Amino acid sequence: MLVQILNGLVYGGLLYIVSVGLVLIFGLRRIVNFAHGSLFMIGAYIGFSVAAMGGFWGAVLAAAVVMGLVGALLDLTVFQPLRRQDPIVTVLVTFGLLMVLEDFAQTVWGKDYLKMPVPPMLSGSVSIFGDSFPIYRLLVIVVAGAVALGLSIWLRASKIGLYVRASSVDPFTTAMQGVNTDRVSVVVVALGTALAGLSGTISAPLLALSPSMGSYILIESFIVVVVGGLGSFVGAFVAAIVIGQVHNIGLVYLPWAATMIPFVLMVVVLIWRPTGIAGSHV
Amino acid sequence: MRPNDAASVRAMPLRSAPARPVVAAAVAAATVAIAALIAKTVQSELVMTLLTQAVITAILATGVGFLIRQNGVVSFGHAAFYGIACYTIVLCLRNGIASPELAIVLALIVPTAVAFLLGLVIVRIPGIAFSMLTLAVGQACFEFAMKARQVTGGEDGLSINLPAQIFGMPTTWFQSAHSMFVISWGILAVIVVGLWYVAESPFGLLTAAIRENEERARFIGYATTLPRVLVLALSAFVVAVAGVLFTLYNIFVSPGVLHWSLSGSALIMAIIGGTRVIWGPTLGAIVYFFAKDLAGDVTEHWQAIIGLILIAVMLVAPAGLGGALAKLWPGSKTDG
Repeated sequence: MLVQILNGLVYGGLLYIVSVGLVLIFGLRRIVNFAHGSLFMIGAYIGFSVAAMGGFWGAVLAAAVVMGLVGALLDLTVFQPLRRQDPIVTVLVTFGLLMVLEDFAQTVWGKDYLKMPVPPMLSGSVSIFGDSFPIYRLLVIVVAGAVALGLSIWLRASKIGLYVRASSVDPFTTAMQGVNTDRVSVVVVALGTALAGLSGTISAPLLALSPSMGSYILIESFIVVVVGGLGSFVGAFVAAIVIGQVHNIGLVYLPWAATMIPFVLMVVVLIWRPTGIAGSHV
Repeated sequence: MRPNDAASVRAMPLRSAPARPVVAAAVAAATVAIAALIAKTVQSELVMTLLTQAVITAILATGVGFLIRQNGVVSFGHAAFYGIACYTIVLCLRNGIASPELAIVLALIVPTAVAFLLGLVIVRIPGIAFSMLTLAVGQACFEFAMKARQVTGGEDGLSINLPAQIFGMPTTWFQSAHSMFVISWGILAVIVVGLWYVAESPFGLLTAAIRENEERARFIGYATTLPRVLVLALSAFVVAVAGVLFTLYNIFVSPGVLHWSLSGSALIMAIIGGTRVIWGPTLGAIVYFFAKDLAGDVTEHWQAIIGLILIAVMLVAPAGLGGALAKLWPGSKTDG
């Protein structure tokens, strides 16, 4: 039973790291990046390639740094120039980017499934109250926890964090107080996409790599963000943990319905609270 | 939802052209005559197959575009309604639930009813959250069709046998690209004219007003939820028509008809063609299919190309090709 809960935490943790990137960008920019899943996918492939040459930690670092730079570029070339347009224009542009990035991954790494080995130093298992559990999966939980902790400290303690929180509650009043969100958005979007790249590499040893893995994780993280309440960091955290558990329990006890359960959960939550568990605003 | 945002895909004048129902019907009839002429002169089976697919998908794109036009929200999940229509026919016939005629009627009713009920929950969700939700709901239907192997055949799909006649028409008409092209085009023309009537009617103007400013429409005493639910149901009905035609033409259905990539392509056609004019998505679908065919001969990177085209249209001409054309000849072809 404990192992099942831990497995749920692994998946929930990964979902959290991907989703919180979306929440960060939405909080500041009021847009949802439909290419976020593709950035996760590219991050996984970069991790796969770098791990083969420079070891696992090098791969994690490389994926996060490269995707961070891609995020900065994305903000400067797409989000900022389009900031006066209807947000749906930006959404459709990121949808176009999704198609380009999938094609790119297919060209560089091929259509076939790739498998990244678990790094040798983390390949063992530990015994937890008599059950054995892979060390690598524990590491994923630890990383997700560290990201959650680091991010909440950053959001509470730094000036940029203050702007992001203020803007996610009320962008209009925030702008009236003299906050120029464009100034800080490069950093925020870069951080959000770096988290997508980081989670891509970390999940690579657990998932099969394919160009279409991006849209799968995109839809799952949309469910997390919508259930949690668009723009809410706490909501995304709670929703990711819950959906991780529900997903895993489903896999064990109702395998034929496992992929459906998060969708059902989402519909139920939306009927109950149309703006998500933590949402008072959309 | 800034009403003065001219560059927005959603913003447009409330009344695009004076009502000219006779002209609209005449233009539509003329295009059907042209379609019949094309079917008569073009011998190539390949070209006709391409055209037939383009027209059926154009009906799908028209449904997606109408939702954008009237409700101002972008759906990434309309393949769900299309696929539900396909599976309704196939499941009714394979399990002997209904005659082919009744199955077709049910295939039009079921997705419309599903959209209506779903709409009661989701139309109040604004903008981007609506897009995310429709993507997730659409994908839930795809996952269900993949997993429920006993019912849907899973990934392998299901095929059907049709009787020799449906609604008194020989079934061979539906399976030959030449005749199916003319049938589908005729239905598309009826749908475009019908939707144009709806858009010009008081109901259409009310939904446009709600799209521009929901709060004000509510303040002057209109119920604002039900009209939007009805628009969603109507757009699902149009999409269901496309699903029925697809099933009659292919007599085979697989979960691919529910996949988000089909919703995405239909959306891209609607955006490329433009949604300010009802016939924009049709134009977009035809351009899409021929560009895909041409690009397919030259390069394997079709997906990247269409992605770049989408980006370019959004940046340069958010009103799409139809919007750009309508601007060139003001008032001339906003009806057919």
